[in-house]
Amino acid sequence: MSATMTKHVVGSTAEIGPGQRKIVEVNGISIGVFNVNGAYYALRNRCPHQGAPLCQGSLKGTALPSLPGEYLWAREGEILRCPWHGWEFDVTTGRSVCSPQKVRVRSYEVTIDPREDAVVETFPVTIQAGNVVLHLPA
Amino acid sequence: MTMLLSEQETSATPTRRTGIIDCDVHPGPKSVVEIKAHMPMPFRDRWNGGGRGFFGNPVHGARLDANPPGGGGAGSDPDFLRTQLIDAYDMAYAILLPRAFCNLHPDPDFGTAIAAAFNDWLAETWLGKYNADGVFKGSITVAHQDPQAAAREIERWAGHPHFIQVMTDSGARAPFGQRQYHPIYEACAKHNLPFAIHPGTDGMGINVQPSPGFPTHYIEWHTCLSLAFQAHLVSLLTEGVFEKFPNFRVVLTEGGTAWIPGLMWRLDAEWKALRTEVPWVKRPPSAYLRDHVRFTTQPLERPEDDKHFLQMLEMMDGENLLMFSSDYPHWDFDSPAHAFPKLPEALHHRIFESNARAWYGL
Repeated sequence: MSATMTKHVVGSTAEIGPGQRKIVEVNGISIGVFNVNGAYYALRNRCPHQGAPLCQGSLKGTALPSLPGEYLWAREGEILRCPWHGWEFDVTTGRSVCSPQKVRVRSYEVTIDPREDAVVETFPVTIQAGNVVLHLPA
Repeated sequence: MTMLLSEQETSATPTRRTGIIDCDVHPGPKSVVEIKAHMPMPFRDRWNGGGRGFFGNPVHGARLDANPPGGGGAGSDPDFLRTQLIDAYDMAYAILLPRAFCNLHPDPDFGTAIAAAFNDWLAETWLGKYNADGVFKGSITVAHQDPQAAAREIERWAGHPHFIQVMTDSGARAPFGQRQYHPIYEACAKHNLPFAIHPGTDGMGINVQPSPGFPTHYIEWHTCLSLAFQAHLVSLLTEGVFEKFPNFRVVLTEGGTAWIPGLMWRLDAEWKALRTEVPWVKRPPSAYLRDHVRFTTQPLERPEDDKHFLQMLEMMDGENLLMFSSDYPHWDFDSPAHAFPKLPEALHHRIFESNARAWYGL
């Protein structure tokens, strides 16, 4: 965490439960915040392929590379699939499954701060178990 | 009488719209009831919707963000379609191709009844009460398994101000150049309506699968949809359809474009040796394309290197033969803003607007 980052409370942990997401707009940028089995991740809501609202896609698992005729279904809940052309992205890293080195979506750091007050007035939240805090470059 | 007058008033588009012309947009009914309402018995009871049966997309068939907020399937809400497509990309016209899947049925009367019901529905809704601004242009669906009935269906709609082409599935029992289909082309030519071929029902119901047997997976089937288009095009050219009906025109919709140069080089080369087999083909087959055939762009085959894409356009005469299409709201939608690399302005204008404007007289 450098001093050049800004913090934005985007919701409460109770509001974004496991398997759920919240799409927020911060500084004019649409961002999806995901709860994957209790861990939070944030991705830019824009597919690098043709600009689709990526974070509206399905969140499921994927079939891992395998031998012909073999199916290895894994990573349930960690793979975000673009709602247009179906490209898969690892929600924990923002990297695509088809071309992880070249095709990736911007990811942002998310933390849980039980003591955090609402930092940004435009995102009033009810503080319950803790706040979900998004960290953006200033 | 009052009804008639008001219909005439709304059918005249007041102003000529400008902007992108999208040559492949799929509207659907809000429910099967909308279609059944236009179907006579006994077919009304028999038809309950239903798509092509198998080779469904294993991921999703339509853009997930295209489901209208007020309910109904993707492409069923004209206001939402205007927002997400027409207004978002500043479009002049959307050419509508409903998906009736009427071509897979063994019973030609059933197929014809489905086609007619979709036409009545489209005329009443998207080309009628939803079309005050005149943005929607439609396709007359025909069941090609009964070409005589298909020709009568074309006659039924000829002269309608918003039906601007005839459409059918690429799935068929025979290549489209063969003479049993000619009554359809005669009707198209008589009324100057292009004949659009769109993927669908390949290998389903009564139709032949255009590959060596049935592929295992959707990815194979979908990639190889181009095969039927290539076979239909070679057939249309070699059977002399464009000599027999000099103003007959064809649109190959969603069948791919990158294969055009290679296939035409091959066919032209064969023709030099074999033209006596098809002596009615008076010019190199590729020479018929400019006057008689157009190709819609989606799904655009795009090389890694944009320079190669521009070379490809030049090789296929894309400047004259291509018309933009998005395939909205289907999953492989091509965004007008992102699908193409940057094109020279004049070329962009031709592909995205003026080629279709000239072809359809818009």
